Amino acid sequence: MKFTLRIWRQRGPNERGGFVTYPVDDVSSDMSFLEMLDALNQRLIVAGEDPVAFEHDCREGICGSCSLVIDGVPHGPDRGVTTCQLYMRRFVDGATITIEPWRAKAFPIIKDLVVDRRALDRIMQAGGYISVNTGGAVDANTLLIGKEEAETAMDAASCIGCGACVAACKNASAMLFVAAKVSHLALLPQGKPERTRRVMAMVRAMEREGFGSCGNQYECEAVCPKQISVRFIALLNREYLRASLTETRLSTRSDSSHGESY
Amino acid sequence: MRQAAQLVDVARSKLMASLAGLVLVGFVIVHMLGNLQVFEGSDAINGYASVLRDMPIFLWTARAGLLTAVVVHVGLTVRLALRNRQGRPVPYTLRRYRAASVASRTMALTGSLLLMFIVFHLLHLTVGIIDPAAPHGMDAQGRMDVYGKIIHAFRNPLYVGIYVGGQLVLGLHLSHAVSSVFQTWGIAHAALDRLFKLAGPGVALFVVLGNLAIIFAVFLGWVRT
Repeated sequence: MKFTLRIWRQRGPNERGGFVTYPVDDVSSDMSFLEMLDALNQRLIVAGEDPVAFEHDCREGICGSCSLVIDGVPHGPDRGVTTCQLYMRRFVDGATITIEPWRAKAFPIIKDLVVDRRALDRIMQAGGYISVNTGGAVDANTLLIGKEEAETAMDAASCIGCGACVAACKNASAMLFVAAKVSHLALLPQGKPERTRRVMAMVRAMEREGFGSCGNQYECEAVCPKQISVRFIALLNREYLRASLTETRLSTRSDSSHGESY
Repeated sequence: MRQAAQLVDVARSKLMASLAGLVLVGFVIVHMLGNLQVFEGSDAINGYASVLRDMPIFLWTARAGLLTAVVVHVGLTVRLALRNRQGRPVPYTLRRYRAASVASRTMALTGSLLLMFIVFHLLHLTVGIIDPAAPHGMDAQGRMDVYGKIIHAFRNPLYVGIYVGGQLVLGLHLSHAVSSVFQTWGIAHAALDRLFKLAGPGVALFVVLGNLAIIFAVFLGWVRT
């Protein structure tokens, strides 16, 4: 197969970027999208040129590293997969493919197609955890959790933090990401004790990072490689409302044991 | 501390904007239903108008409430929209939508047009300075002749065009807005979600069809004179 690639090249965070066109041929239809880019990079390296920087790690759709906007859709034309699970047979032979990085104020470009997604880590640091005392692990079936709750929590927990939701959102909002994390913990008994503090801290962290607000367009759900439902955003909104109502009581107690101050 | 207060604003201003919006949705529904009395003839609608005007405390409280809702809704949504625009300083060269409806993508545009239409509508039929040729007199019982004004306005194709345009914009805006309220307030349910999704287009269609019925009935001369 043959393709014409239009790839966003940018030397560094503060450099001006632009599209560079690369023709590629000899592409096997069984190659993944990233393998196709590997082949291009091999050619560039042999020719003494700077290879295209893109992020990747597990290449089996679970690490959340790969992050390409392909022909205007984060993770490309297939639904429910990451870029690394996208195969070249999905494209028409001879097509021109446009490849851009995630674009958001909160995701500054590091180089070419690689963006800095630490904003999501900082949101997690603000509240995306549970506090557990050290000691022996609790026996597996001490805490009974209903089938429905466990399944729903797992649906939310399948978020791999790739940031496609942010990339797809008109407002570059991280609502689906935060919703998945907040829901996953709020639904389980282990996460319930800290749910009030957690949702406030994570929503504030999201706003601090410069992500936009939710416009209820649901583009995030449509591009999410784990197909996380926007119903979790409703759950996040509910958690936030609940926390807002109890917040006054919370701030007087000033629980700063986790180094989080607001 | 002050910065933190400013930050929380984003999530809360969305909630406040949606509440103010809901007040306005309620108003357009009541406004449409009230105006359907045109079909009952001049006595009904002029009587309805005079009942409203005979209760100045109610009338001005309602007007003040609506004005407050408009100011809150417009102020907060404009601020949110401006902030959201900063979320992506460098736009995509190629962008393909999968889920976003036309209505959801044009909320800022339809909102702005709607505001302009509302100002026009108030100057036209409430204040009455747009069309000086319109009848400003009283009817036989000495009440303001609202009926005459409506008939005069919608016999004119220019005003019909403007009002039909206004209704289309209103319909688009409502169809995304009403469904959105459920999501923003966290009202989701596996079985009812489809109903919530249909609520927006449903309410929009209800209001727009009601209003269009008045406009076209007058224009086509189906209303008793």
